[in-house]
Amino acid sequence: MVVDTERCIGIGQCELLEPGVFRLDDETAISAVVGDGLLPVERARLAVEKCPSGSISMRE
Amino acid sequence: MIDLTTPSIYLDGIPHDRLSEVRAVPGLMWHPYEDNGFWAVTRYNDVAEVSKHPEVFSSGIGHTNLWDLEADALEARRSIIDSDAPDHTRLRRLVSRAFTPRNILVWEETTRSIAGELLDVFIEQGGGNWVDMVAAPLPIRVILTILGVPVDDADFLVELSDYLIEGTTDQTTLSEDAFGNTTPLRLLPFNSPASHALFEYGERIGAERLAEPSEDLVTHLVLAEADGDRLSMTEYRNFFQLLVFAGNETTRTAITHGGEAFAMFPDEWKRLMASPDLMEPAVEEVLRWASPVMHMRRTAAVDTTLAGTNIAEGDKVVVWYTSANRDPDVFDDPCRFDVSRAENPHFAFGGGGPHFCLGAFLARMEIRVLFEEMLKRGIVLSKEGEPVRAPSNFVHGVLSLELGVLEGRASSGGGG
Repeated sequence: MVVDTERCIGIGQCELLEPGVFRLDDETAISAVVGDGLLPVERARLAVEKCPSGSISMRE
Repeated sequence: MIDLTTPSIYLDGIPHDRLSEVRAVPGLMWHPYEDNGFWAVTRYNDVAEVSKHPEVFSSGIGHTNLWDLEADALEARRSIIDSDAPDHTRLRRLVSRAFTPRNILVWEETTRSIAGELLDVFIEQGGGNWVDMVAAPLPIRVILTILGVPVDDADFLVELSDYLIEGTTDQTTLSEDAFGNTTPLRLLPFNSPASHALFEYGERIGAERLAEPSEDLVTHLVLAEADGDRLSMTEYRNFFQLLVFAGNETTRTAITHGGEAFAMFPDEWKRLMASPDLMEPAVEEVLRWASPVMHMRRTAAVDTTLAGTNIAEGDKVVVWYTSANRDPDVFDDPCRFDVSRAENPHFAFGGGGPHFCLGAFLARMEIRVLFEEMLKRGIVLSKEGEPVRAPSNFVHGVLSLELGVLEGRASSGGGG
C-alpha cells in the first residue's frame, strides 16, 4: 500500500480501517505505511476507495 | 426550471420530488438565482466528480454559498471551507490532528456522560422538544469541551449559532448593531452580527490561551505551527467560528432527524435493539437520511464539461448532497430508512476530495454514543408532532421536534 503524502490531509479513514498498515503521524496527522504494508486485495481496494482525499494507492 | 432555492419550499422538508425531476434532466440543469444562476448537480456520480476535482471546481474563487460576494467581503470571511490548494492544504493540516479517529476517541467518555445526562432528563420528563433537550445540547457541549471553552458559555454560543442559521434563511431578527457590531454585514459570515460576537469571543479566549496555554483545541489553534507557519488572527477567528457553527448545528440536525426517523419507523429501532452490531450501518443511515448540509457551491476555474454540459469558467456549480443521497442508481429503495444498508457511500460529509468534512469522525462518534446510551436505557421514542423546520435551502434545520418516551429507564445515577 502507498500513501501520497502530498495529497494526504490527515483524515484517518485508512488507520481506522487497517491500523496494522496505516498510522497517522502524532504531530502532522499525515498517514504512513507501517509494517510490511501488505493487504489482501479486497481489503486493499477498500482502503483505496474509502480514502476521501484519494491519497491511497496499491502496488502488486 | 425547477426551483430548488426559495427558502419557504424547505418548510415542508427536502423537496425530494423536485430533486428527482432534476436528476432525470439530461446533463446539468441551469438554475436561475438572483441576477445570475448556477448549474445544479444532483446525480451522485456527478457530485462525486465535482468533489474530486477541486482544481476545476474551486471553493476559493467565489465562496461556497449560493450568493455572490465582493472581493473584500470574500477576504474578510475566508476560512478553510472556501480555500483552494495550497492554502486549503496548509489550513487543513494545521488542524487535522485534533479530528483524527484516534484523537476523537479521547472524547468518547465525556460524550457518553453528557449524552447520558441529557437522556435521563428526557426520560424523566416523559419526552419533550428533542432538539432543545438532546439534539442541540449534546454536540455543542462536546465541541466546547474539545475547544476548551467554559461550559457556562454554552447557551450563549448556541444562541449565536442559531442566529447564524437565521442568516441562511430569509427571516433575520437581529439588528445590524446587535452584539455591539460595527462591521458592515456584508463583510461578516452569514451576513450576521452574531458572527461579530463569535469573533470577539474567539479572540478573547484565544488571547487567554496564548497567555496560559492548555491542552485544548483553542490552544492548539493559536499555537499550531507547521514548517514555521502559523494561523493569522483572521484565520484563527474564522476557524473558531466555523468550528462552533459546524461542530454544533450539523450534528444537531443529524440527531434530530435520527430521533424522528426512529420514532416514525419503530421497526428499524427494534432491529437495532435486537442487533447492536447494526450500530455502524444505523449511524450511516441516519447521516444519509438527515443530509444536514444540503448543498455546497463551487466555481469553475476553467471551461469544462460535466454530464455532457459545457460549463464556462466563472460559472457557479452547486452540488446537492440531499439528491445524491437518494440517487436510485446508488441506493436501493433510497426513500426507505433502513439501518442495515451494507453499502452506504452517502455524501452527508460531502462528495469526497480534500474538503471532506473535518468533523466526520466526531459526528459519527457523538451519534453512535447517543444511540448506545439510548439502547442502554431501553428508550423507545414516539413522534408527538411535526417538526418545525428552518426555511433554509442550505441546512436541513429543525427548530423544534416533540418526541415522547414510550419506554425507557433513566440511569440510576453514577456510571452509565
